[in-house]
Amino acid sequence: MLSRARVTEITEITSNHYYLLLEDPQMARESIPGQFLHIRIRESLAPFLRRPFSIAGASPGEGTLKIIFRVAGEGTRILSSVRQGEYLDCLGPLGSGFKPLKGPVFSALVAGGVGVAPLLFLARTLVQEQKKVFLFYGASSLGELIPVRRFLPGEIEIHLATEDGSGGFRGLATALFEEALRNGLKPGEIFACGPRPMLQALAEKNREWDYPMQLSLEERMACGIGACQGCAVKIRKGEETGYRPVCRNGPVFYSHEVVW
Amino acid sequence: MVNMEANLGPLKLKNPVLTASGTFGFGEEYSSLLELEKLGALVVKGLTLKPRQGNPAPRIVETPAGMLNAIGLQNPGLEFFLSKELPRLKNYQVSVIVNVAGDTENDYVTLARELSGEEGILALELNLSCPNVKKGGILFGTSAQTIDRLVRKVRQACNLPLIVKLSPNVTDIAELARAAENSGADILSLVNTLRGMVIDITTRRPFLGNITGGLSGPAIRPVAVRMVYEVYRAVNIPIIGMGGIVSVEDALQFFMAGASAVAVGTANFIDPYTIPRLISGLHSYLESENLSSMEEIIGLAHMV
Repeated sequence: MLSRARVTEITEITSNHYYLLLEDPQMARESIPGQFLHIRIRESLAPFLRRPFSIAGASPGEGTLKIIFRVAGEGTRILSSVRQGEYLDCLGPLGSGFKPLKGPVFSALVAGGVGVAPLLFLARTLVQEQKKVFLFYGASSLGELIPVRRFLPGEIEIHLATEDGSGGFRGLATALFEEALRNGLKPGEIFACGPRPMLQALAEKNREWDYPMQLSLEERMACGIGACQGCAVKIRKGEETGYRPVCRNGPVFYSHEVVW
Repeated sequence: MVNMEANLGPLKLKNPVLTASGTFGFGEEYSSLLELEKLGALVVKGLTLKPRQGNPAPRIVETPAGMLNAIGLQNPGLEFFLSKELPRLKNYQVSVIVNVAGDTENDYVTLARELSGEEGILALELNLSCPNVKKGGILFGTSAQTIDRLVRKVRQACNLPLIVKLSPNVTDIAELARAAENSGADILSLVNTLRGMVIDITTRRPFLGNITGGLSGPAIRPVAVRMVYEVYRAVNIPIIGMGGIVSVEDALQFFMAGASAVAVGTANFIDPYTIPRLISGLHSYLESENLSSMEEIIGLAHMV
């Protein structure tokens, strides 16, 4: 659905990263973790296309949705200057969501950079399902780490990593996660979102591990609803491979489905 | 009373705003957002005989007031279209135009023959202008001789109204338009995308998986308007104009340049309601100008 959502808050939460709270009761009700909003940054020809943003949280009670984004280019730079009380043209919620297993399993979430956004939403719903949740979250440096604690219930065990060692574990979130596995963590399911090389590394390792692993992919999008096939990635279904749009068949795929 | 019908020779449409092929899939994705019945016609994604995987990612990149795409005619093929997509489209009261593409002349002829007997298809659009596939496509559309041969063969193979979609990547579009008209085209549609490329200066390589892509969006509109203007002077068959239409004012330029109908492509990605908005906007324009039909403004820019 297409809607004009009211901006109720916009705050810089860490260097170059913004927290955006949107008011739209229907979208808040319909959203599930893993889905995204396709936002028209402003009504002009520049930037021309909509931009997809993972939903970082939704509260149907308050009728609000959370977006966390990093300023990565012209579109996100303009979005970061939106003011409280303004309206944003949003298409969504779009895409498939994460599909958590039923029952009391340990859930491991592995996040790189702003890829943590959809996992924050997911973490909340997993906790509501009485699951034990572990988050392994990494960024390049302490200044880039999003203060995730304030977006998460206290029950979640958070492990932080920075590439330069300025905060938490020194290295990548995936290395931190692997260390936890070596130390005996036995997740029943894994969810990951982050830069493509990170997801590829996890998917390749998972050929041995063989956990149920779901990845949220990112691609440049045009229509956002599966019509243009612009954001297609190569996906394996059984014996067959073919291009499938991330916006509609994804953004969440099982790790064994993605052809890298 | 305002008459919104579009009169395209053998093809009559309830209004003159169509979807541009490749931007609306087979209609399914947009059917939950808007009533397909409102469209002047639904021109489906380029269809080939066999399924096609399309080009490697990345396939699109934003450009100033536009975008490049190199999808590579990804589509499920004729058999799937006939067994799944077409029956589904029959649930809607929408005029369906099938855009067809091939590697060889025979591909086009076979597609035309197979589709010709099917109920629920109003016309064929020959895609002689896809810039993103290695064989066929644009190769047929850039010389008068190849257009002539191909259109004649397809003409004999089917009795549906035949639209020939022209490429802007040519020296003299009017010459090619005449070739299409002389060999049996009923209608011309123009323009397809303009070939372009973007280089990623970080990787120092072409950005798109296909290296080059087709430019669309408002960035190409003045080129498209000029080409419709030139073709209108060169032929006597109706024209469907397209290229970067976003607003009612944009669409009016195409009618005044000589188009009898317009198609909306890239704008659907930004505002899925562009087509219904243009239809009601054109209606209001006619009323406010005291005109009774779109016919009255077609080609007005040519008046001296």
